[in-house]
Amino acid sequence: MSAVAIDEAKVREIVADCLDLEVEELTLTDHFIDHYGADSLNAIEVLARLEKEFHVTIPQEELANMVNLSAVLEVLSRANAR
Amino acid sequence: MSPSTIHRDAPLITAWSAVSPFGLGREAFAAGVGRGEPAHEVPDFDTRKVLGKAGTRTFDRATGLAVTAVRELLDEAEAAQSPIATGGGTALVLGTTLGSAHSSAGFSRASFEGDKPYDVPAQLMPNVLMNGPAAATAIRFDLKGPNTTLAGGAAGGLLALGYARRLLAADRAERAVVGAVEEQSTTREWLAGLAEQPLGEGSVVLLMETARTLPPGRRVLAELLALDVRLDIDDDPARALADVVREALDQAGATPDEVWAAAVTGQPARDQLAALVGAEAVDRVPALFGDTGSAGTVFSLTTVLSLAEHDPTATGRVAVIASLDHQGLAACAVLRLTGGDR
Amino acid sequence: MNEPQRVVVTGIGVLSSIGNGVEEFTSALREGRCGAGPITSFDTTGFLRTFGHEVDGFRPEQWIHRLPVEQLGRATQFAVAAARMAVQDAGLDEQELAGLRAQITVGTTDGEAAELDKMMAESVAKGPEHPADQLVAGRLPSHQLALAIARELRLPRAVPAVLGTACAAGNYAIGDGFDAVRSGEADIAVVGGADAICRRTFAGFSRLGLVSSDFCRPFDADREGLLTAEGAGVLVLETLESARHRGARIYAELLGYGLNCDAHHPTAPDQASVARCMELALADAGVKANEVDLVSAHGTGTPTNDITETRAIREVFGDNPPRTVALKAMLGHSMGAASALGAAASALALAHGFVPPTVNHRTTDPQCQIDCVPNHSVPADLRVVVNNGLAFGGNNASVVLGRHDEELVR
Repeated sequence: MSAVAIDEAKVREIVADCLDLEVEELTLTDHFIDHYGADSLNAIEVLARLEKEFHVTIPQEELANMVNLSAVLEVLSRANAR
Repeated sequence: MSPSTIHRDAPLITAWSAVSPFGLGREAFAAGVGRGEPAHEVPDFDTRKVLGKAGTRTFDRATGLAVTAVRELLDEAEAAQSPIATGGGTALVLGTTLGSAHSSAGFSRASFEGDKPYDVPAQLMPNVLMNGPAAATAIRFDLKGPNTTLAGGAAGGLLALGYARRLLAADRAERAVVGAVEEQSTTREWLAGLAEQPLGEGSVVLLMETARTLPPGRRVLAELLALDVRLDIDDDPARALADVVREALDQAGATPDEVWAAAVTGQPARDQLAALVGAEAVDRVPALFGDTGSAGTVFSLTTVLSLAEHDPTATGRVAVIASLDHQGLAACAVLRLTGGDR
Repeated sequence: MNEPQRVVVTGIGVLSSIGNGVEEFTSALREGRCGAGPITSFDTTGFLRTFGHEVDGFRPEQWIHRLPVEQLGRATQFAVAAARMAVQDAGLDEQELAGLRAQITVGTTDGEAAELDKMMAESVAKGPEHPADQLVAGRLPSHQLALAIARELRLPRAVPAVLGTACAAGNYAIGDGFDAVRSGEADIAVVGGADAICRRTFAGFSRLGLVSSDFCRPFDADREGLLTAEGAGVLVLETLESARHRGARIYAELLGYGLNCDAHHPTAPDQASVARCMELALADAGVKANEVDLVSAHGTGTPTNDITETRAIREVFGDNPPRTVALKAMLGHSMGAASALGAAASALALAHGFVPPTVNHRTTDPQCQIDCVPNHSVPADLRVVVNNGLAFGGNNASVVLGRHDEELVR
């Protein structure tokens, strides 16, 4: 379980910025790649910035699971503190 | 075995554009040359405003400048109804000094300042590499031919011309967009310390083609007759410069009295050049942007081309574009000004 | 239009994690040595993975006689030392060299970025107001790598160029030298690549999740990624005529090369474009795909590269592609030096009749359907080798080398 509290608004802000979207454009369920045209580099940026912001370590294997905002929140909830 | 052939036709300069301290595009540049007032920074250059938001989020300034210069070149050619083909037949050769010093330093700094040493902005990794601007330009305009970033400092622009000439001679591309980019930044200022010259920035690109691949109706602005470099190994940089200018003129079959315009960038050496080709030719080309690194020689050339455009006496005469760096590397190109005719 | 000259490799200089100098390098390739170990060039505290490939036993003063060694950055030292080795190996003395028009082209990814790292560490410690050390700042411009070679070898008429085409830069440089010699523009080319390991690039690859926890295992089902490395590979190129005239030993003939750009994505390779690059190289060399005996792959050991490159190789060579080895298992990913070391290894494989192995290999990934010659080198009668270099930015370069055989009439 995550040792840190996750500020959902902050996550949304980071993800939106990584995908070059306005915060309100980003939904919980729309697919990063299929819907927003993201690529592998965007995904790594999301992972890296979340790690930095929330002082957690997200295993590289989780990248494949981080397909939309909802999934990112879930991945983050099981990430360990750094 | 049937290796491809080698062509000896002189490379032709058939178009050019720039993002310069005088603004965006060729006309802005030519107008600034006409005014003759020095400037150092590209004014109001916000990459995402200039190029739009799509695909530009991670661009650094050098990348933005290079992409914009090539955009101007392609758009202006289109507007002149003399479009430039992209795709696999078009090479891109860009000179640099060390890529974006600012991006490199920022990335490195992040590793030292971060909570973890790997807390670096991964999405900006392409900017750290010297080929970032050339790669981004290729993506933007579908330039699938050879894509080369050449680091040469003050000689970089001329070495890029020489490299592009070799590519065309060996049939590795039908045409080359060749030039250089240098960005202004606090990091570059910091690295320069108490430099004698103010730092300048910009990106400037030429279209190089040969008679074999020239589309109908294309104006020929200049012909690259010769290009040579000389390294001072005897602590006599003035002599290296003199040798390279004489050698290049000789290779070009040109005499000093044919020289209409001449410029040297890098180290201050206007007087030495004037002694070789006459003060009139050197005085004709104003030094406008300060130290623009690898872009300096290419800016000199486009300054000459701008001036020649309005002066019919230039046609048929010769331009000498030289550089001398603080390590004694001298380079010189000799071009015949052709006045826009074929 | 001139008749193009045939171009041959007559000198090789190498610095690598598996050995310095052509002899040591050749035996290491045969033995399948792996040069991985904990990185010592910078402090790896805090990094999750800490292995890399460093050059051991490098004594710059052994090779650099004129320039003040302590004033050169490590990458420049590598470039100069490997160039000196290569011209000595080619049997060229300085007097002979002095009369030649030389093309000196060096490929690099990072140039002297390790020096910039040091400056940034100092700046972070002392604050942004602390002025930059001008001596160190003077080392940063990448064209030092070629300029220092010209200066050390006293070649005032050399054309010194440095190509910053990231991880394909070595092949780019070799291609440039090939064209300069083949066209008669230069009498000799001293070309290759050099890079010193640096923290910022290691940090970048780490953050991108591309660094392996132990070894680099190209084409392996369990591969985790690359290991960053350092080194230099420099070749001396000259025309066949000139080599014969000098009675020089010829390692291999340089048959041709190809360059292209994906124009697709900043970091992800594009299969069709990589295939196209190899096709351009084969066409330039006048070689048919079925005449190729070996591919020295870019083979970084990252999941994406190895699959994409394998598919591209199968696209070019069909369902029975030539044996395909990834030297990065032994050498690590030495960035701009990588494809130059690959070309050096290819020339040595042709000259000595063996295929260097892909080491650290356990089980081939079913998605990488090639014979990667796992773990042990094999003797082989090689005629033609293709050496790939692929880079961030979609800068691809493939070089084709052929066995030189005086009796063989082409």
